[in-house]
Amino acid sequence: MSDFKGRNIRPLRLASQLLGVAFVLSLLIGIPTFGTFPVLRNIFLPNASCRYINSAPTSCYYYQVQDGLVQGSSGFYLDLLILLLAVVIAIVLLGRFWCSWLCPFGAVQELLSWVRGLLRIPPLRLKWAHRVLLRRVKYTLLFLTVIISLPIGISALGISQCQSTLALPFCQVCPAKGFFTVSQQVLGLEPWGTTLPILAIVSLLLFLVSSFFLRNAYCRICPMGGLMALFGRVSLPYLRKDPDKCTKCRVCLRVCPMDHDRVYDEMERMDVAGEDCTLCGRCVELCPEEGCLSLTYGPYDLVSSRRPRKRWWSLPLNKTRENGK
Amino acid sequence: MNGATKDTDRKRPRYISDRKGFFSAEQAERTRKRSREMEKKVRTRLSSAKGRAKALAYFDELMRYDGVRAVELKEFREKGGKVVGTLCVMVPLELIEASGAKHIRLCSGYYEPVHPANELLGDAGLCPLVKSTLGSKMVSSDPLVDMADMVAGPATCDGKMKLAEMLEDWVPVVMMNLPRVKLGGTSSELWLNEVLHLKRKLSELTGRKVTKKALVERIRKWNEASELWNKVCDLRKGKDPPISGQDAMLVVQASQSDDIDRWVVKVRELLKELEEKVRSGGSVAEKGSARILLMGSPMIYPNFKIPSIVEESGGSIVTDELCTGFRLMADPVLLDDLSEKEIYSALADRYYFPCSCPCFSPNDERLTRLFNAITTFGVDGVVFHSLRGCHLNNLEATKIELALRERGIPMVKLESEYDEGDVEQVRTRVEAFVEMLKARRKK
Ligand code: SF4
Ligand code: SF4
Ligand code: SF4
Ligand code: SF4
Repeated sequence: MSDFKGRNIRPLRLASQLLGVAFVLSLLIGIPTFGTFPVLRNIFLPNASCRYINSAPTSCYYYQVQDGLVQGSSGFYLDLLILLLAVVIAIVLLGRFWCSWLCPFGAVQELLSWVRGLLRIPPLRLKWAHRVLLRRVKYTLLFLTVIISLPIGISALGISQCQSTLALPFCQVCPAKGFFTVSQQVLGLEPWGTTLPILAIVSLLLFLVSSFFLRNAYCRICPMGGLMALFGRVSLPYLRKDPDKCTKCRVCLRVCPMDHDRVYDEMERMDVAGEDCTLCGRCVELCPEEGCLSLTYGPYDLVSSRRPRKRWWSLPLNKTRENGK
Repeated sequence: MNGATKDTDRKRPRYISDRKGFFSAEQAERTRKRSREMEKKVRTRLSSAKGRAKALAYFDELMRYDGVRAVELKEFREKGGKVVGTLCVMVPLELIEASGAKHIRLCSGYYEPVHPANELLGDAGLCPLVKSTLGSKMVSSDPLVDMADMVAGPATCDGKMKLAEMLEDWVPVVMMNLPRVKLGGTSSELWLNEVLHLKRKLSELTGRKVTKKALVERIRKWNEASELWNKVCDLRKGKDPPISGQDAMLVVQASQSDDIDRWVVKVRELLKELEEKVRSGGSVAEKGSARILLMGSPMIYPNFKIPSIVEESGGSIVTDELCTGFRLMADPVLLDDLSEKEIYSALADRYYFPCSCPCFSPNDERLTRLFNAITTFGVDGVVFHSLRGCHLNNLEATKIELALRERGIPMVKLESEYDEGDVEQVRTRVEAFVEMLKARRKK
């Protein structure tokens, strides 16, 4: 889109996202190769490697968490704890790199944003108060999942009959469930009308509409993102800012698809990733100050902002449509 | 509908009811003559500097009193073109160009027009830049200033705000309500609306719609200009700066009144010559000169009194923190989304947020920029200049001096008027300061 910038991270990220989508899909569809490597069946990825695909050899990791919460009471939640531990280690090592570089949900949202951009429709910009509110939703969803799943699993409470309706509470409202159930039925992989997950379909529609207008709409409330955000402070990859070089030009905040205020506001600490940054690197591409923002892994800067310059794809490609008549 | 017909029913003059008779023709003539002489002196001094790049001659011609630009604009106006004068650095020039108009910077650096303004206002404490600009309009002493069909004036300091109001006696003025308290979202929105208001006024003036296509095209051009300007400044980071501080200011100030397309071509030539100079080890600064950062009140050509004294006293101005210097073109407009709304908000943001004019509060950006420049340009000392009556810079000087002291960077604070009377006094202080810097470095 912008032909005048410092770094060019997007193509790399796009390639990585495509790989991510391909990988998740092949897991889902259960491409034969995966069948022969049982290990791969124990890969639980955060999003869209959805359980609601018939042939899926594995499942989304959030499904596992919910499942563990329900089933775990008999085994002292050992499975769940091991799973959580593995995930925490992964989060520490990879941070939210998952989000902007691999997550299929993230990729779909960006695709929608891109289409909106082509149509020259401006993105919806939320007021600060609303952004803050949305930010809390993801933790609320996380909390609700636990609160609902736990007691169902504890047989002493005698409400296990609710299992059929209330187990996997998040899955019931997850857009992925809506998407995969419907698409399998459409493709004839599953008989028509086997219980339509109405809630999930509604949230799928909400997902599509909202992330068309609002950049990264779903990421703002995604409980998986919330889980990753909880450990954001200790994870190795982060967004580094050298406040001594920041001119407060507000470019980073304007271009950030997550409206991550900290990248702009923070003038003391170096680590500005915090809860909402998905490490997409958009701000690093466009921050006009040399070395002010960097995507960093532990002590190493992977890529740092630099003074913008004109890019070779400049004029011919970016035709802007004449406004009005 | 258009500006021309509105002209007739404009409000009565508020500051001068008898515009023609207030000054004698003699006084007007005298002001013109002295302005011409002053500019000539400055230009001769600049152009006779040793080792000066040849490509700079273009900028001399452009900025000279009664120079080519005034003639060009006159022809442009005769063909129905419109010229918009700007008063501060927050006016998006891309927008003016996209509307089909041309822009000039009205702020005056001539000494003589201060007198007529003094006679009218009787305010000895007011900033001389404001008075000089008003004076040039009153006695019509600057041919370039007379070209303006409309004025865009952001309400920055008290002086500038009232200056814009006063100019309304002669030309239509678009006041821009600059949010001086930077509050993020709310200020951003307010300023965006002011920019959109200016856009409407510009279309009324030129009778042309500002199209998105034209605007994006102009933004690209100005980005290119900013890139070049940054490259010129980068060359001054090295041991041997190939261009003097005064010449650099001349170049960047020319962009405010020139056609930017031509400016880009000329600066590209200049850059080539300067790069060549750096390669062959040429320098405009004397050996062992102290590296100075200049900051404070605006210094508009030909009021290059302070920088000339600094550079004549063994200082080399390697960078500045001036709205009439580096800051003018430091920042590009970074477009992320090409919807109309987002383009305007990117444009408005570029002219608002990174600006470190002392009229803003909080204005910590100025300190950040200052310290960043001190490290990247290897600055030995800071010369802080404030025009007499420029309260904002005077006030910030204290804060800046304390911050500099903490970091062990010496600073000298100077105050100046729009006349030659204080030259020797300033020179003595600057010389002492530069000597001190040199001695410090030897240690
Ligand atoms: S926040 Fe959730 S949906 Fe968004 S990219 Fe991260 S894991 Fe995917
Ligand atoms: S884009 Fe860079 S310089 Fe601008 S506010 Fe953000 S971090 Fe600071
Ligand atoms: S802060 Fe920067 S890296 Fe993080 S999400 Fe926003 S644009 Fe992407
Ligand atoms: S020099 Fe100071 S007082 Fe004069 S116009 Fe500028 S900010 Fe205002």
